[in-house]
Amino acid sequence: MRKPKVGIFGLTGCGGCQLEILNLEDQLLDLVNAIEIVHFTEAITEYSDNYEIAIVEGSISTMHEIERIKKIGDIAGTIVAIGACAVSGGLNCLKNLYGLEKAKELVYRDKKKLIDSIEVKPVDEYVKVDYYARGCPPNRFEIVDIIRSLIVGKKPEIPNYPVCIECKRNGNTCVYELGITCLGPISRAGCNSRCPNSVSGCEACRGVIDDPNINAQKDLLKEYGLTVEDILKEFNLYNACRGKTIEQKNK
Amino acid sequence: MLYKVLDKSAYRDFVKALISEYEFIGPKKKDRSVHDFVPIKDISELDTNYMRVTIPPAKKLLFPPNEKLVTYEVGRKIEVRPVIESDEEILFGVNAWDINGMNFLDRVFTTDFIDENYISKREKLIVIGMDSKPTETNFSLSMGTEYAKDGFDIYLTELKDKYFIRIATARGNEIVERYAKVSDATAEDFRGYDKYMNNYRKKFKMSVNIKNFYDDFELIYDNEDFWKKIAKNCYSCGSCNLVCPTCFCFNIKDDIELNLKSGSKTREWDSCMISEYGLVAGGHNFRPDKENRLKQRYRCKLKTFIDKFGKYACVGCGRCIEACLAKINIAEDINSVKKEVSV
Ligand code: SF4
Ligand code: SF4
Repeated sequence: MRKPKVGIFGLTGCGGCQLEILNLEDQLLDLVNAIEIVHFTEAITEYSDNYEIAIVEGSISTMHEIERIKKIGDIAGTIVAIGACAVSGGLNCLKNLYGLEKAKELVYRDKKKLIDSIEVKPVDEYVKVDYYARGCPPNRFEIVDIIRSLIVGKKPEIPNYPVCIECKRNGNTCVYELGITCLGPISRAGCNSRCPNSVSGCEACRGVIDDPNINAQKDLLKEYGLTVEDILKEFNLYNACRGKTIEQKNK
Repeated sequence: MLYKVLDKSAYRDFVKALISEYEFIGPKKKDRSVHDFVPIKDISELDTNYMRVTIPPAKKLLFPPNEKLVTYEVGRKIEVRPVIESDEEILFGVNAWDINGMNFLDRVFTTDFIDENYISKREKLIVIGMDSKPTETNFSLSMGTEYAKDGFDIYLTELKDKYFIRIATARGNEIVERYAKVSDATAEDFRGYDKYMNNYRKKFKMSVNIKNFYDDFELIYDNEDFWKKIAKNCYSCGSCNLVCPTCFCFNIKDDIELNLKSGSKTREWDSCMISEYGLVAGGHNFRPDKENRLKQRYRCKLKTFIDKFGKYACVGCGRCIEACLAKINIAEDINSVKKEVSV
């Protein structure tokens, strides 16, 4: 079988997603045998503009990154966004909550005019993304699964159902029964219910499912003495790009 | 069926012997709210006096949440090897409605095709039943599953100072003869048993109007408002399916190794309540709305298998009611169907 050429790119993010690929250990050798990695921001110094598949970590937060992602989009036939930052904007979107000018003011003070910083957006605001490996950090086996599917030419199976399914398969007691709130019923599975497995609530790091029942979730949280603000705060951790800025909210 | 009695003073020795001689699975308190069927190494871990339902149900021993079915290798020729794993073990302290749940699965996994993975586990599982107290969400009495007439090897019923023992298999008889100091049940013991059963049946507080549901359901089938109202808060989270002792749907996943030379196929518990369930090749979804999925679940539970083999696919255990964060309640919904069609 022919080895596809792959570029692995890092934009605004912590680098943890690329690290997950390096953490594949046993499978890493198989991976480099199955694909030809022509660029890997975090791991190799060589750079090539000749790739068919682009694996992209991080969100877009500078003008320069807009250029980079557009170029990647022009070259790659397939784009895979990995990690919450690339997929939904991730933690970086918390900046947007302040409004751009306010945020620059707070962080860069009098240097703010010199800094290239724009409103944070996920990758698919600029280019078409074919597949998403969600999560913070993403599940490295899911990244492998996507690559493997691309090599054999089938559609990767990425769950679009709530975390509850995996949680019940794992035989967990629902954390609500233990007095802990959880965003599991509206959040995307694929993490093997990582947080509830260790008795803490899901924070929706993989984003929400396509058709979440937000009203039911609000009713439920209300019953546990929580307000919509509490919920939004949790949503905001990884999904602030979907929310409103603090100024917009105060209006 | 053989009937014996075991003096209460001899009960502990019997159980201890089983724990030391067999792989022994029994109910153990897991956290402050639920019990789980887990391997027991010492009698002090065993807690048969559970009130809250065990989650997940004992079906996990026969039909595990994730189960490898085949491995394969692709070389000059393709080699496929089935993976069938089963060990002899005792399942102790499982109650009547959960045994009836397993009996239902027996039919499912042997009708139309024989599921070797399931059957090999079922045949090796030695089932020792025991009553447990029904929760307030349990409606087994209405479903006729509060009593197990088969599907077990041994069934212990706790009377005042002794256990009334029903032995249903030769294997069960061997175990009793070998490890329990029993005597034959007398007429007096049978009277005690009947009295116990009368009392036991009074403990079921929740009842459903399941009579004529078969016909009522057709009358309500196209009433969109009714289903929308019932399913309004449904998350499509699938919890109701995954905790159910009779739900049997699974999805098969193909795991190809990165070397592209070998791989395996694994089945995992699936749910008819998630939107992907109705999704087919080409992107069409047969049941995109949650209300249609809930309606279909109820049809499957309460109607489909009456036609297929004369059983409900619901034993009334109440697990789905307890598991549902949206408070969707199959028992109340069965009753609302009746109410709605009688006005
Ligand atoms: S009925 Fe309840 S448990 Fe079932 S999918 Fe809907 S919300 Fe989840
Ligand atoms: S449908 Fe609900 S009550 Fe009926 S057997 Fe399943 S979990 Fe128990």
